[in-house]
Formats: sequence, C-alpha cells, structure tokens
Amino acid sequence: MNDETVQRMPQPDPRAPRGRVLDAHLHLLDRQVLDRDGTPVTTVDDVELDGIELGARIEPGSPAPTVAAILTGPQLPMRIFGGHAPARRRVAIPWKLVASVGTTVRLGVGADSLDASWVERWVSGHIIGRIPGGRHDPE
Amino acid sequence: MILSDLLGSDALEADGRRVGAVVDVRLEISGAPAQLLAATVVTGVLVSPRSRFSTWGYERRGETAPVLIARLQRWLHRGMFLVGWDDVELVDEGRVVFRGGYERRDPMLPPSPRT
Amino acid sequence: MKKLFAVALGILTAIGGFVDIGDLVTNAVVGSRFGLGLAWVVLVGVVGICVYAQMSGRVAAVSGRATFEIIRERLGPRAGLANLAASFLINLLTVTAEIGGVALALQLATSVDPLLWVPVAAFGVWIVIWRARFELLENVTGLLGLTLIVFAVALFMLSPDWGRLAGQALQPGPPADEPVATYWFYAVALFGAAMTPYEVFFFSSGAIEEKWTEKDLAKSRLNVLVGFPLGGILSIAIAGCAAVVLLPASIDVTSLSQVVLPVAEAGGKVALSFAIVGILAATFGAALETTLSSGYTLAQYFGWSWGKFRKPAKAARFHLAMIIVVLIAVAILATGVDPILVTEYSVVFSAVALPLTYLPILIIANDREYMGDKVNGRGMNLVGTIYLVIILVAATAAIPLLIVTGAGA
Repeated sequence: MNDETVQRMPQPDPRAPRGRVLDAHLHLLDRQVLDRDGTPVTTVDDVELDGIELGARIEPGSPAPTVAAILTGPQLPMRIFGGHAPARRRVAIPWKLVASVGTTVRLGVGADSLDASWVERWVSGHIIGRIPGGRHDPE
Repeated sequence: MILSDLLGSDALEADGRRVGAVVDVRLEISGAPAQLLAATVVTGVLVSPRSRFSTWGYERRGETAPVLIARLQRWLHRGMFLVGWDDVELVDEGRVVFRGGYERRDPMLPPSPRT
Repeated sequence: MKKLFAVALGILTAIGGFVDIGDLVTNAVVGSRFGLGLAWVVLVGVVGICVYAQMSGRVAAVSGRATFEIIRERLGPRAGLANLAASFLINLLTVTAEIGGVALALQLATSVDPLLWVPVAAFGVWIVIWRARFELLENVTGLLGLTLIVFAVALFMLSPDWGRLAGQALQPGPPADEPVATYWFYAVALFGAAMTPYEVFFFSSGAIEEKWTEKDLAKSRLNVLVGFPLGGILSIAIAGCAAVVLLPASIDVTSLSQVVLPVAEAGGKVALSFAIVGILAATFGAALETTLSSGYTLAQYFGWSWGKFRKPAKAARFHLAMIIVVLIAVAILATGVDPILVTEYSVVFSAVALPLTYLPILIIANDREYMGDKVNGRGMNLVGTIYLVIILVAATAAIPLLIVTGAGA
C-alpha cells in the first residue's frame, strides 16, 4: 500500500456507536413489557440506572453508568405525582432479563417467573380462577 | 439512580451557568456481553435550552410528518444538543454539571431497525 | 354470509358510535326538533371516524399495538391518566345506559318493568364477555343490529315529502323556533358521539383480538368503509323518521316508545318487532363494546395482560375490572336514575378524552419505527390534521354549551 491509498481510507470514528443506540425517555419509558410468549407483563414505569453517585465528582475514564432494571408498581404514582418510595418497596425487573428492545421491551423469560407479576397471579388464583369457566378457553 | 429523577435536572456548565434542562439520556447496547442482551450503557445526556418537558423525537430523528406537528415540535425544542458522558463532571439532585470545555454534539439518532 | 362476517367488527364498532341507546334517543330528539337540519354533522362525524379508525386499525395490524398503549407512550403517564379517567367514566356511564337500554327494549317487547330486567341484562352482558369467543360475539350482535335498517325502510314507507326533508338538511343554521345555542349543543353532541374514543379503543383492540397483520390491511379498510357509513345512514334514518312523524305533531321524545312510533306507523307490528330486535341487539352490542373498552383501556395503560383470546385466568385483572364495571353499572341503575339522561353529561368527559385520544393516533400513524413504510400519506395527514382542529374546537365548546343550554333542554 502506498501513501495515497492510506490517505484515502477513512479513519474509523472512535465515537461511532458499537451497538443499538436509543434514548431512555423516548424509547423506554411508558413502553409495554412483554414476556417470552408475548404476554404483557407491565409498562415501563421508570428505569433504574447503576453507577451514578449523587454529589460525587466523576473521574475522567471511569466506567459509564448502566441500565440496571425496569421499575414498575409503586413507582408509577411517584412518577406522576412526585416523591420517592423506599428502595425495598420497589418492584423491579432486572435489565439482564431483557432480550430485545423495539416498539416494546421483550423479556427472555416467562411472566410467571417474575416478582413483578405477583398481582396478576394473585388475582388469577384467588378471584378469576375461582369463577366457573375462568380457566377455560373461550368458546 | 432513578431515571425520572435525572430527567428535568438543570444542565450547568463548569462555572455554574445554566444552559438548559436534561430531557433525555442516550444509551447504547454495547457494553459487556450478557446472556440475552449486551449491557446497556449511558453514553450521554440530551440537553434542551428552551424546554423541560418530553419531546416526541422530531428533532432527533428524520421524521417530518404530520407537517404542522413536526414543525411545532422542532420549534419548541430548538437548539437541543447532546453531551457525551465523559464530559459530565457531577450529578446531583436536580442538576448535572459539565466539565470545562465540554463539547456540544449533534443530537441526531442513527436510524434504528424496525422490530 | 362469510363476507358479511368479515366486516362484523366494523359494524359492531359503528353500532356503539351511532345507534347505541344514547344515540337512538338523541337522533330521535334531534329529528323531532330540527328535522334533518343536523344531518350534516353526522356526515362530518362519519368521515372523521372513518379516517381515524382506519389509522388505528392500521397501527394495530402493522405494529401490534392497541390505541391506549400508544396514548400512554406518546402523552406520558400524566396526560394518559387524565385520558384514562375521562374515558373510564364515559365507558362506565355508557355501560350503565346500555344495560338500562337493554332493559327498556325488553320492556317494549314484554311490558315487564325494566328494573326487573336489569340484572338479567347485566348477567347476559357479563356471561358473553366471560365465555363467548370474540368472533361469535361480534358476528351475532353485528348481524342482528343490522335489523335497524327497518328505520330506513320505514322512512321510505312513510312516503315523506323528500323536498322538505332535503330543505331541512341543506338549510344552514338552526330553524327559527329553536335557540342557536341548543342547535350547536346537539351538533357537538352528535359529533362527539360519532367520534367517541371507545370506538377506536374497541376497533384497534378488536383488530388484535382477530390477530390482524399487515396482510389484513384491506380487510381493516373494508370494515371501516362499510361499518361507519352504515351507522351514519341508520342515524340519519332514525332522525328522518322522527322528522316526518314526530316533528309535525310536536311529539317530544321522552321514552323509547316514541323512538319506534314512526316505524309502527309505517309498517305495523311486523316492522315494530324488527325495530325492537334491532334496538335490543344494538344496545346489547354497545354494552359489550363499552364494557370491553373499559377493560382494554385500563389494561393497556397499566400494561396488564388482556384479550378475549386468552383464558380469563391468563388475563385476570382485565376480567376483574370488567366485572367491577358491570356491578357498578347495576348499582347505578338500581338507584332509579334515568341512565339516558346521565349519558348526556358524559359529553363533558368527551371534551377531555377526544383530543387526548386522536392526537397520539395521528402521530404514531406517521412513525416509521412502528409502521415501517405503511405510514400515512400526505392526504391522510391533511385530513387528519383538519379533524384534529375540529375536535379541539368541539372539545372546547362542549362544556360551555352544556351549561348554557342545560343539556339541550
């Protein structure tokens, strides 16, 4: 290769994205969360980010924060009206369970294995399941 | 930290001057590989000098229709820019402070695949 | 017959918007006071709902997302909650009126007190939602509701003065003996009824119940183009019958028996029985549509599992919500309040729900991430934007008109 060819080859842009790029509010908040079979689980009421320490100066070169979990449950009224629920009351779906993000967020697991679906399971088991015909397909 | 606490924070330069509000957080699915999806990392914050509320993305994507709404939205959120996370010095309650000499980048999103 | 069933969703959706119990009475009232002078509002409404139902059906078929999911996603949880509250109240009041309407129609048929029919009607609505497949539900009620065509037939049999009817329809503005504000109140009420949000909630969720995909876009369009214009025609026919029989005799519409009076006059007992069957099917269908809508909107806002295609145990909160709605409706009816009067006031909530429903639909119908290349064309966007302006004007005028005219007294 001579000098001319080297000059004509474009330099790789160090800031070019190396994966799918999305914006948290635009693409994640208020989207439907579906499980592995396409059954709705919840909506993304909020998102938890790991690695941000309030008030602490960020050293250059320190690792970037990551998305830790989808929050739902008590977080919704907090988001609408303000305020904070204590951490142990949060209902979270760990981000590592997410398989893909498109117009919806799809999980790689079934809904029944999640903490977040306990209300649905309770209503299903204790109320709807007890009414005759509740467990059958419609005809 | 919870996302909705970060959204709406004041965006400040190193000398304390307010340049806008944080209206969104840019993410990239390009971190350490994991079982299902690679880790999703924060790569920057989007700052809007003139608005504090949510946008519909007209100023970040190539969408132009419906014409009246797109024009109105672009005007409402004009001047939006992206600041890379390496230019963020401090995050505190209600404010985000940038390093001196931070760069204002183009907020456009790369076209995303339709899934 | 199969072709008719293919458009059953469109017909059932239109029933809720044009010939449910509230509309039956309103159309008869309008006909008895203004003749066909407000027919133009029905036409404007038909075009509007066709445009937006087509958009929401396309969004559901192409992206798999029902309308209320989109409302929350675009408008955020606060505005979405405002819409949810308004829409829920509209749905609840309408379910109450429809169950009351079923009881009233059964009274017309059997002369048994409607209050005794209410629990029967409510149970009927619930058991169908609980056990019947979606296709069965829409095919039976849609088909039976078509017997309302007897009103159009009756109009012809009454041999009206077509010239006078046309004169009423083409006359700009209210007739001399009615106040202007009342004319515009009914115009807004008819327009709001034609474009009631639960129609698009039901149509888009129904599209997903039927598992429509991109290949079914032509079917979706057919449903819209058959169902809503048919609803509009029936609406105008009912007003026309009232214009011909009730207006000249200055008969006020205060009960369902006045609504069917023109039909009885035109075709005797046979026509009357068709009308009663039609009213029964239409109010029952509208009860199903609005009860399901209340379930759909709640489930889609909160992200619950929903759909009649799932076992109730797999969509538990969805079914529980609908059971509660039916129970509240029965409780309201048990207090003896006139359910039809109550729906007049639901126009207030429409003022909030209409703009917050149709704006997100227009935006998402243009979003390539949802629609790929099936986004709106420029023509569709132009009409959609014009209607959005009309909706905003109607929404702003609704409450002042309601107060000034005392709900059209």
